[in-house]
Amino acid sequence: MQKHSKMSFLSLLVAFGIIIHIIEDMLPVPFPIPGAKLGLANIISLLTIVFYGLKEGLIVCVLRCIIAALLAGSLSSLLYSLSGAILSTMVMAFTYHHFKDTFSLVGISILGAVTHNFVQVTMASIVLSTFGLYVYLPYLMVIGLCTGMFTGLTANFAKQNLFTFFTKTNF
Amino acid sequence: MITKGDKLLIIFVLMLAFIIFTGFQIYGFTDDKTYVLIEIDGKLYQKISLGENGPNLRLTIPVAHGKSIVEINRNKVRMQYSDCPDRDCVRQGWISRPGQMIVCLPNKLVLKIEGSKPAKDEVDAVSF
Repeated sequence: MQKHSKMSFLSLLVAFGIIIHIIEDMLPVPFPIPGAKLGLANIISLLTIVFYGLKEGLIVCVLRCIIAALLAGSLSSLLYSLSGAILSTMVMAFTYHHFKDTFSLVGISILGAVTHNFVQVTMASIVLSTFGLYVYLPYLMVIGLCTGMFTGLTANFAKQNLFTFFTKTNF
Repeated sequence: MITKGDKLLIIFVLMLAFIIFTGFQIYGFTDDKTYVLIEIDGKLYQKISLGENGPNLRLTIPVAHGKSIVEINRNKVRMQYSDCPDRDCVRQGWISRPGQMIVCLPNKLVLKIEGSKPAKDEVDAVSF
């Protein structure tokens, strides 16, 4: 029974992630910098890491990226979002398991956002075979800092609410 | 809710971003080196490298109808004066990007801009 509840909760997380991902793609970005975005779907990756761990976090983020790209995206956007999501999930899981006392979810989310930005710029540089794109990196890092703080705070509230919900329902 | 480690991380990220930013401001990036090739009758006459601290000069070139004056201003090139009937080459104005060229047909003179990489590697647009 435990296995089935875990599976259904993971698929729920994937579904939430897809919806957040697609809605976020529709939001206009107020910065004229390619790659800058809110990264709201990171909340889902973060929650999965908190509740389950690295393996489940990777499963959820890879499924989320692929399905969201199939529903509302392109192949190039899949390439950028998938590479960034996988590496940032790994970094966040590592930080969460080893430095849980040093960083709160806000710090972990910031680390994930900055990793995501770095991987995306690197990926774009490889695809376009020009390293001039690294000029965008400092801007993206500062934007990622703000959005990472925001998503970290959101994930923190969601985590508290979900924990009380789980203890109430003996999930 | 925000721990001491978070604050240190925020300061670290801001400093890293600032360092990368100033690094690019000071050193730039040498990836986009361009050259201007001056060809007369299909043969290379001169090759001059352009850039932000490139040359600022005027070249007078003897051609079939008289002379042509090519002006090079750091990273852009134009035909300033030309002894030819229509002067379309002069009217083209400045060129600066790899792949652009100015052709003076009567004088068989071609000004071509090339990057360090072949021009076909240039991407017109990228979707995200």
